Amino acid sequence: MFYVTMFFQYMSQYMKTRLEYRADLIVEMISDFLNQAVNLVFILVVFGHTQFLSGWSRDEIIFIYGFFLIPFALFSSFFNIWDFNERYIVKGEMDRILTRPIHSLFQVILERMELESLFGVVTGLVIVVYAGSSLDLAINWYDPFLFILFAIGGALAYAAIFIAIASIGFWSDAKTSIMPMMYNIGNYGRYPVDIYNKVIRFLLTWVLPFAFVGVYPAAYFLGKKEWYAFSFATPLIGIIFFTLSIFIWNRGIRKYRGAGN
Amino acid sequence: MNNAIEVTQLRKEFKSYSSRTGLRGAFRDLLTRNYKIVPAVNDINFTVKQGEMVAYIGENGAGKSTTIKMLTGILEPTSGKLRVNGMNPHREREKFTRTIGVVFGQRSQLWWDIAVQESFRLLKKVYKVSDQQYDEHMGHVIKTLDIGPLLDKPVRKLSLGQRMRCELAAALIHNPPLLFLDEPTIGLDVLVKLKIREFLKEINEKYNTTILLTTHDLGDIEALCNRVVMLDEGKIVYDGELDSLKNNWAEQKEIHFQFMNHVNLSELKSLPLTFSAEWEYDEKDQTYIAYLKEEDENISQLISVVVSQFKIKDVKIHETSIEEIVRNIYEKGMN
Repeated sequence: MFYVTMFFQYMSQYMKTRLEYRADLIVEMISDFLNQAVNLVFILVVFGHTQFLSGWSRDEIIFIYGFFLIPFALFSSFFNIWDFNERYIVKGEMDRILTRPIHSLFQVILERMELESLFGVVTGLVIVVYAGSSLDLAINWYDPFLFILFAIGGALAYAAIFIAIASIGFWSDAKTSIMPMMYNIGNYGRYPVDIYNKVIRFLLTWVLPFAFVGVYPAAYFLGKKEWYAFSFATPLIGIIFFTLSIFIWNRGIRKYRGAGN
Repeated sequence: MNNAIEVTQLRKEFKSYSSRTGLRGAFRDLLTRNYKIVPAVNDINFTVKQGEMVAYIGENGAGKSTTIKMLTGILEPTSGKLRVNGMNPHREREKFTRTIGVVFGQRSQLWWDIAVQESFRLLKKVYKVSDQQYDEHMGHVIKTLDIGPLLDKPVRKLSLGQRMRCELAAALIHNPPLLFLDEPTIGLDVLVKLKIREFLKEINEKYNTTILLTTHDLGDIEALCNRVVMLDEGKIVYDGELDSLKNNWAEQKEIHFQFMNHVNLSELKSLPLTFSAEWEYDEKDQTYIAYLKEEDENISQLISVVVSQFKIKDVKIHETSIEEIVRNIYEKGMN
């Protein structure tokens, strides 16, 4: 309960700061939107020539892309920790975090949230609805709930990977380029995994479960029965990986060396 | 009376890498790193009673900050026992941090972009302080530190002195029984220093708050602490009263004179004094320096004798700094 209160306290604080810099906020929203538009255009161009990609139609691929944007937006709003290593470990901001009576990861998340990324949820929904209607998908009454559940599961899986990578910073404070690389790999999750070779598919499922952010959960809504097992595993995978990443984080905290003055 | 801090055989080691020379060395570093284990804090013991004000001093790199970081739960000790407010700071961190206040002079605890009072409001929620407690306690703190007019300004627009006063207030929102201050007066002007010292004294008297502070400023210690713990290379080299530390190790006072006319060193040396003073001439600054023991009325006697015989342009009494005391201890050994 305390953590829920704190979440809203930090959020209102965040809004106040954001509203002070209105111009920044608008620019950021526009650039976010443009980024997504460019990605979509890319998909449209690629599929302008081929209608099918190893058994997936153009609209299905667009649907997966649209779905992917939603957990991704949730992830980028609340787990904006790509610069954790520099900001908190090299600069020693972690010292301050650790003198406050809230779980350290939760504090970092609260301090770094970027709610304007939630705008991506809207873009994602628009694309999903557009692709879904051109595919004539049937909607059951429980589908919206599953949709939310899968989106959250996907966001957790995504977050887990980045938390685990951020935790590496506790052991070694050398600058690594793993973070940007991970953002690139994360993008693979928004294409059907069966277009990749087996090794990559295995990696995207069990090691870096990015496939659970896009293609697996989306497959359920597209009625791809052969993927159902994976679709329904999404929330579970999300929770398991997330728990694991918090465990790694907590271990890492004990190795934190602090920055010299 | 309870002990606020109990430290037994506390140790913190860091691994430090040393790289080999040359390109070949760099390639070898890729495979096997040369590292040695350096103890930053080396099996130290001390206790601090509730309500004590203790200065924790030493040169840079002596292990002060590392100790403070272990005491505040930021770092986990390599070995040894540590009880602060009856808890293990690192293992029970979230519960523990509710009972301490922390000010790191070089690192802000406040949110940079928002107004000071917004930071306070958020911290008040973080520490679950009730409105009534807050109004009662903080009203007084804000008044004493004179930060009322600063409350609606964002932190980034404050001067260092203004910011430090706000930091101090922020650390006291939950009225903790134990306060850690790391260089709280660094870079501040004299008036702000005085205000902060006065305030800390008052807090200590009113709430029996334990205060542990690190500082390079002997003035801070003289104003606040009767007890000094001195650290060198990770070991405690002195733990006791400030006065005896100064009497034993800051034995000499320096008095610097500049005269209107030319004066011979031999004239100064033959001045009639009831004690012995050594004289030296510093050509660069054109000053004459007298070294003498700080006893009885030595200083006033010396000055009055000199003034009666020569025309003086400038007199400075040079206070021994902590660094010099440390150096003295180092050169002459503890006994």
